[in-house]
Amino acid sequence: MSQPLLELRNLTTVFPTRRGLVRAVDGLDLTVREGEKLGIVGESGSGKSVTLLSILRLVPPPGRIVAGDVLFRGESLLAKSSSEMRRVRGRKIAMIFQDPMTTLNPVFRVGEQIRESLRIHGLVDGRGRARRRAEIERVIQVLNDVGIPYPEESLRRYPHEFSGGMQQRAIIAIALSCEPQLLLADEPTTALDVTIQAQILDLLERINRERGMGIILVTHNLGVVAEFCDTIAIMYAGQIMEKGATEEVTTEPLHPYTRGLLRCLPRIYGKREKIRPIPGLVPDLATLPPGCPFAPRCDVVRPECREDRRIPLKEVEPGRWVRCLLY
Amino acid sequence: MRAAKVLERVLITIPIMLGVAVMVFIFMRLTPGDPVDIMMGEMVGISDAEMEAMRREFNLDKPIHVQLWLFLTDVLRGDLGTSFVKRVPVAELILAHLPATIELAVGALFFGLAISIPIGILSAVKQYSILDRASMAGAFLGVSMPSFWLGLILILFFSVKLGVLPVQGRIDHDVGLQEVTGFYVLDSILTGNRAALVSALRHLVLPSVTLGATLAAIVARVLRSSLVEILRADYITLARAKGQVEFLVIMKHGVRNALIPTVTVVGLQVGALLGGNMVVETVFGWPGLGRLVVSAIFNRDFPLVQGAVMTYAFTYVIANLLVDVLYTYLNPKITL
Ligand SMILES: Nc1ncnc2c1ncn2[C@@H]1O[C@H](COP(=O)(O)OP(=O)(O)OP(=O)(O)O)[C@@H](O)[C@H]1O
Ligand SMILES: [Mg+2]
Repeated sequence: MSQPLLELRNLTTVFPTRRGLVRAVDGLDLTVREGEKLGIVGESGSGKSVTLLSILRLVPPPGRIVAGDVLFRGESLLAKSSSEMRRVRGRKIAMIFQDPMTTLNPVFRVGEQIRESLRIHGLVDGRGRARRRAEIERVIQVLNDVGIPYPEESLRRYPHEFSGGMQQRAIIAIALSCEPQLLLADEPTTALDVTIQAQILDLLERINRERGMGIILVTHNLGVVAEFCDTIAIMYAGQIMEKGATEEVTTEPLHPYTRGLLRCLPRIYGKREKIRPIPGLVPDLATLPPGCPFAPRCDVVRPECREDRRIPLKEVEPGRWVRCLLY
Repeated sequence: MRAAKVLERVLITIPIMLGVAVMVFIFMRLTPGDPVDIMMGEMVGISDAEMEAMRREFNLDKPIHVQLWLFLTDVLRGDLGTSFVKRVPVAELILAHLPATIELAVGALFFGLAISIPIGILSAVKQYSILDRASMAGAFLGVSMPSFWLGLILILFFSVKLGVLPVQGRIDHDVGLQEVTGFYVLDSILTGNRAALVSALRHLVLPSVTLGATLAAIVARVLRSSLVEILRADYITLARAKGQVEFLVIMKHGVRNALIPTVTVVGLQVGALLGGNMVVETVFGWPGLGRLVVSAIFNRDFPLVQGAVMTYAFTYVIANLLVDVLYTYLNPKITL
């Protein structure tokens, strides 16, 4: 098989806190192939956002990456100098965020914010006026691509003059402006209502199809991932609990946590089943129990699950991984 | 549209100034002490008849509502009256003293911003560093130190001990400055008088520092705290995720936003720079409106106090208007 687009090897990101070291991302192994759509699913606080920020090396201090590596097309991003890293950000790997209302800078026009990306990476040739015109043309084109109506007027608008859905489109436009090869999408639709949510996912789908851009979609909504992604990774307390092709993970979940998540999904069609929430709460990362972090909430827990050792992520079938002593 | 709004705001100053003037008019007459008594107090051998004549001349013999009516009709005709004590038109006195006050306020503003903006930014970026802690402690001192005390300390150190800066006044008289506008720094540039420029600037340093210290302290703290907040915002992370260099992430995306709350605070402080400088003008013998109005109050020089207060109200409102215009320019969510 060809070289993966992105590979995370044992990625570990910690936050020193007053109550102890929080391993927000705890030995993560993940691969994204060219043009693949990977979904990362997990409850709030499971380390999804920190994973994406770690890829771009934008973990807010005092958080830092303490182990592992991030390989982009085989090159270590952690080994890059900060100026090399800046050439990756936005240009090779772009990111979009959960809350469109707070992601655009309120004091700059939308067009200006897209143009900034083009200028940072010097993507438009020419000088002076001609260059400015070329940049604006490119901005209009990108706005068109993401389905913002009347791009010529829209680029002169300020973010607060846009609806949430339009703001998210503008953010996607910023991300797409430099034609990155990988898009990190951190819950891009959580803050939007369902119809807009579907439109945004459609847009991402189309971009993925047309440009072959890899996407990591982070969400706590398994339903969204089931529809959108080729592969799924289930995250809990900074670790991958299960990963594999979407079809397999959603129809034949292996990990008790995945099964729990699936049971939480309301069904609209077919036989109605009772929604059963997972008992207990997301654990506090500063005081994790020994052994499996999910053990306290697990309905099939065994004594050895609580023994003080790290449970390995096992490949039970080709491409099908699970971190559980049942397998 | 914009221009119309600005004009509207300028016109609104007229009723504000009149209202302020009426209040001062009434309060001055409610406070004990008769202007003629005070003026004549030290002189001996003045007859009651002479005092009565003087009261008549100043209209002080008339009922208060008649005095108010006369005052208002005069004001609306553009006549601020004549100073009881100096026997000169009030407008003339004010125009002679206002440039000094404005020059000092501008100097203080300039000093205050020049020191507080870099400090505020650096403290926010290096939060909890030694620099941050030291400058915030300094800012606390700056806010809590009374300005007469700071002024005296500065004079003691720089003028008396080191002898590098002048103690009093606006300029050395031997430099031969020709007055054009009354703003000495500007005048010395206009007339190409280098010696005057140096002298005017040297005289401006200590009063500006004294008057601007509070502003510097307040602005540094506001800028720091809003920038700290803003640097955590998603759009800052987005700017970094675009590949922007850190300097521009902070200056373009961070500071540009942090200036919005800062400008509001500066606006409030500008009023204090113009109207709160009586102490500083007194300490430094600065011949501005502040000193003029203090002596006018002691002398119960009603017309002069009224005129000065109206001038304060006017400059205050105009300064705030300028700040509001700047604010709408900085914050696209607000239109005038
Ligand atoms: N700035 C920070 N300081 C300290 N701890 C942090 C910080 N950011 C994240 N963490 C820790 O990392 C853990 C994972 O956070 P992360 O934001 O990645 O969760 P998430 O899976 O994205 O959750 P959500 O669905 O709520 O966005 C959190 O539980 C928190 O303890
Ligand atoms: Mg998150």
